Amino acid sequence: MSVIGTKQPRVDATVKVRGAARYVADLDLEGALVGVILRSPHQFARVKRIDVGHASRRPGVAAIAYSGTVPHKPMDFGIKDQHLFPIDYVRYMGEPVAAIAADTEEHARAAAAAIEVEYEPLTPVTSIEQALSPDAPLVHPDWKNYTRSESRVLRGNICGYNRIRRGDVDAALRKAHAVVESRFSFSPGIPGYLEPRAAVAHRERDGTLTVFCGSQTPYSNHADFCAFFELPEERVRFINQFVGGGFGGKLLMATEWYAAALALQCDQPVRMVWSRHQDGLNVFPRHGGTAVFRSGVAKDGTLLAMRASFAFDTGAYIGWGGGTAQTATMLASAPYRIHNVDLEGTLVYTNKQVAGPVRAPGGPQAIFAKELHVDEIARAVGIDPLELRLRNAWEEGDVTATGQKLTSVSAKETLRRAAEAIGWGTDLKKNRGRGLSCGWWFSSCGRSEAKVEVRADGSVHLYTGNPEVGNGSAVGSLPIIVADRLGIDPSEVQLTLADTATRTYDEGVGGSGSTFSAGQAAHAAANSVREKLIAKAEDLLEASREDIELVHGRAVVRGAPDHGVSFAELASASGDLIRGDGKATEVAEPEFDTKLVETHGFASWMAPSFTTSAAEVEVDSETGRVNVLRIVTAQDVGFAINPNGIIGQMEGGAVQALGFALTEELQFGEHGIINTGFHDYLLPTAVDAPSIEAIIIETPSKEGPFGMKGVGEPPVTTPAGAIGNAIRDASGAVPHTTPMTPERVWQAIQDAKQSGR
Amino acid sequence: MQSIRLAVNGQPHDVMVKPEESLLQLIRHKLGLKGTKEGCSTGYCGACTVLVDGAPVNSCLFFAVDADRREITTIEGLAADGDALHPLQRAFVDAGGLQCGFCTPGVIMSAAALLAENPSPTESDVRSSLSGNICRCTGYQSIVNAVLTAAEELRAQGRAGERTGSTARLRSRA
Repeated sequence: MSVIGTKQPRVDATVKVRGAARYVADLDLEGALVGVILRSPHQFARVKRIDVGHASRRPGVAAIAYSGTVPHKPMDFGIKDQHLFPIDYVRYMGEPVAAIAADTEEHARAAAAAIEVEYEPLTPVTSIEQALSPDAPLVHPDWKNYTRSESRVLRGNICGYNRIRRGDVDAALRKAHAVVESRFSFSPGIPGYLEPRAAVAHRERDGTLTVFCGSQTPYSNHADFCAFFELPEERVRFINQFVGGGFGGKLLMATEWYAAALALQCDQPVRMVWSRHQDGLNVFPRHGGTAVFRSGVAKDGTLLAMRASFAFDTGAYIGWGGGTAQTATMLASAPYRIHNVDLEGTLVYTNKQVAGPVRAPGGPQAIFAKELHVDEIARAVGIDPLELRLRNAWEEGDVTATGQKLTSVSAKETLRRAAEAIGWGTDLKKNRGRGLSCGWWFSSCGRSEAKVEVRADGSVHLYTGNPEVGNGSAVGSLPIIVADRLGIDPSEVQLTLADTATRTYDEGVGGSGSTFSAGQAAHAAANSVREKLIAKAEDLLEASREDIELVHGRAVVRGAPDHGVSFAELASASGDLIRGDGKATEVAEPEFDTKLVETHGFASWMAPSFTTSAAEVEVDSETGRVNVLRIVTAQDVGFAINPNGIIGQMEGGAVQALGFALTEELQFGEHGIINTGFHDYLLPTAVDAPSIEAIIIETPSKEGPFGMKGVGEPPVTTPAGAIGNAIRDASGAVPHTTPMTPERVWQAIQDAKQSGR
Repeated sequence: MQSIRLAVNGQPHDVMVKPEESLLQLIRHKLGLKGTKEGCSTGYCGACTVLVDGAPVNSCLFFAVDADRREITTIEGLAADGDALHPLQRAFVDAGGLQCGFCTPGVIMSAAALLAENPSPTESDVRSSLSGNICRCTGYQSIVNAVLTAAEELRAQGRAGERTGSTARLRSRA
C-alpha cells in the first residue's frame, strides 16, 4: 500500500521533542562577537549627520556598519525606495541606523550609545487618512526620482493601486431590490513567531562568508545579499537552521543583513540574536487598513453588483507588502457570481514599521469584511446566510471577476460541510450564535530543485532547498513522496534542508507553495532514482523491468520476494552512488481578461482552493466578552499528501485567525509602536483556543502534484468572518473593526440598541 | 560572582554565577543545554520552562543564584540521548503536537509538571496548565491531545504521578 495520503509523523518530530533541534541562537561559534542595532528614536526625521568616530574607539568594538560603510544603492522591491541603512531620512521609530559588533553585549551597547546621530524631527504620517489628505507630509519627499517597475503605482504617499472592473455597477445598483453599505477597519498585527530573529555570520580565512540563518527564503536571501555586496555567489554560503515559526515574517532578511555586514569587516564570527522587544521593533506586520463595500441584491438573494474599496497602511517602505491590495481585490467578490463589480485597492506609505506578507496577506482582512457584508445583505433581504451564499457561490465553469474560467470548484461543498458540522439551523442556547464565512485562495509554484541519493550503505538521502519553518512540507510531505517512489518508510528518508552549498535552489516557504513546488522536485528526483535502481536490478537479477518492484529497501522480482537485491548492493554496483535530480515545472497562471484590470499583477489564480469556516460563540452582552466555543473549517486541499500536516495547518490557522478576530492589535502611540511584547500584544493561549474541527475536502487540481492545492494560508483567512457573524447572531450586533475586543463588541451592542435595530 | 551547587537532570554542578544571571542563561550558556529556548525573556511565552524541584518555572525570570541546592530538570532530562522517548515525548510525536518546535520543550516540561501532580487531568486541566506556554503553530488541540494520551499511557504503565528527574543524586552529595 502506498504511503501517499496516509497520516505520517513529521520526520523532525523526534529531534524536536528531545530539545535537540538546533535554531540559530543555539549555535556557539568560538570567539563570536555580539552584534547589536542602533535604532531611530524618531518616527520621521532628517538625518543630518552620523559620526561613528568616538564609538569605534570604545573598548571591545570590532566593527560598525552604517550608511557610510555599505553600498549606496536602493533595494528593488518593485519600487526602489529603501537603503540597507537610511541615508537622508529615518522613516519609522525603530528603523536600524547602524549595527555594532563588540566582544561583549555591554561593550556593543555602549558603543551604540556613543554613535552621534544628528536628527531634525519631522511631522510623521501616522494614518491612512492623513497620508491621503492633500496637504500631507510626504513619507518619501523624493518619490518622483525613485525607479519603479511598470506594474507599480507611485504617487506621493500612494505606493500601490489596482482595480478590477466588470459590467455596470451603477446601473445594477439602481435595479437592485436592496443596496447595502458596510464600512470596516482592520488593525495591524504581528506574525507572532516564537523564535526572535537571529543570525550568525563568519568570514573565513579564505574570505568566504558563511551566514547561519533562520529564514523562509534562504536562497533568495543569499542571491539578494550577494548582489547587494557584489560578492560571487559561490563565496557566500547561507545555511538555514530549524526556524521557530515564520508566518511570512521571515521572508525578508533582517539580522542576516546586519550580522553579515559586520562580519565582512572583521575576522571573528558575529552573532546577532534579537530580544522579543528588538524583534518587535523590526517586525514586518500584517497590514492594517480600511474597506468600504456597497452591494446590490435582488429580492431572491441574487447578488447583482458590488463596489469595494480597500486602503492598506504599508508603512515606511514597500518591502514585500506590495501584493496585499491586489490580493484583497481578488478576494472581495469571491467566491460569488456577481456580474457587475468595481473593486479597488490602494496602498499607502506611513511612518510605521514596514508591513509584510504575513500568512495569507490581505486574506483575513478582506474576507472578514466581505463575509460580514454578505451576512448584512442576507439580513436585508431576509434570506438565511447559508442559503444566500449557496445561491450565489461559484460552480464549475463559472468565471471570476477578472474573467478567469474556473475548474475544480468546491465552494458549495465547503459551505455545506462546514454548516452541517456546526449544526446550522438547529437550536442554540441563550446568548449563543453561529456564523459562516467562505473564500478562495491560490496555489503557487516557484522554482525548486531536489536531489535524491542512494548510497553504498543503502541509505536514502533527500536534499531539498525548501526550509523547515514549522509548516512541515520538507519534513512532512517530501519524505512521503520519496518513500512512495522508492518503496521505503518515510522515516528512512534522511533529509538535508536548505543550504545554498547543496545547490538545490528553492523559492522558500510562502504563498502556499512549498509542497506544490518542492513536492514536484522531490517527486522528479525520486522517480529518476527509481528508474536507475530498477535498471541496475534488471542486470543483477536478470529480470525484465516490468517484473521488478521496490519493497522495503530492496528491488525484488514480483511474486518472488526472495529473489531480490538490496539498495546497498544496487548502489555499490553503480559506483557507490545512485543519484537523481529533480526540479519543479513552472505552471503558467490561468488566462484572464486583461481589459478588466488596472495595474494588477495577480489577476488570475492557479489551482485555486475553496474554504469555509463556521463558528459558534457565546457573547456576554453586559461586558462584550466573546467566548468562541467551536470553529469548523472545511478546506479543499485538492489531494491530502499527509493529512496530519494539513490538519495541523488548519487547526493552527484557526487559532491565528482567532487572535486576528478578538485580541491581536499592534498599537502605535505618539512616538511610534507601543506593544512589542507578548504581555501587551495578546496571542491566543491554550485556554483561549476553542475546539477545532478540520474537514478535509479533496477536489483534485490538474496542476498540483497528485492533484494537491496550496494548503498553508487558507485556514487563517476564513474563521474571523465566521466569528464576527456568530457574534451578531448571538447579540444582534458586531463591531466592524478588528480585533473585536470586548469594548468594541459592547459598543456595537449599545449602538444597535440606540438605533433600535 | 557567587558559587552555587545545583543538579541539572541528575548531574551535580558547581558553578560561579553573576547576581543578575538568569537560570536560563546558566542552562543555555554555561551548561550548554540548548533544548530550553529563549522566546521573550519576560516570562510570557513559556518557551524557557524548566522544572525546579518539580515545579514549572520560566527560567528567564528565575535568578541563577536562587537555583542553589535545587534540582533542575530540562527537556534533555526527560530522555537521555539514545534512550527511548518519554511517553510525553512519544505522544507529541504521534499526535502531531508540534510544528516549528520552538515552544515544544517548554510545553512538554509544563505538561510533565502537570502529570506529576495530576495523573488523570481533564482537557480543561491540561489547557489551564499550559496557559503560560504560547504556541503559534498548532492551535493547541494536538498538544492537548498529546498530553491526554501521555497521561493514559503513564497510567497504563503504572507510572501515574511519577516525577521526572532524580532527587537522589544531589541529596547524597549535598
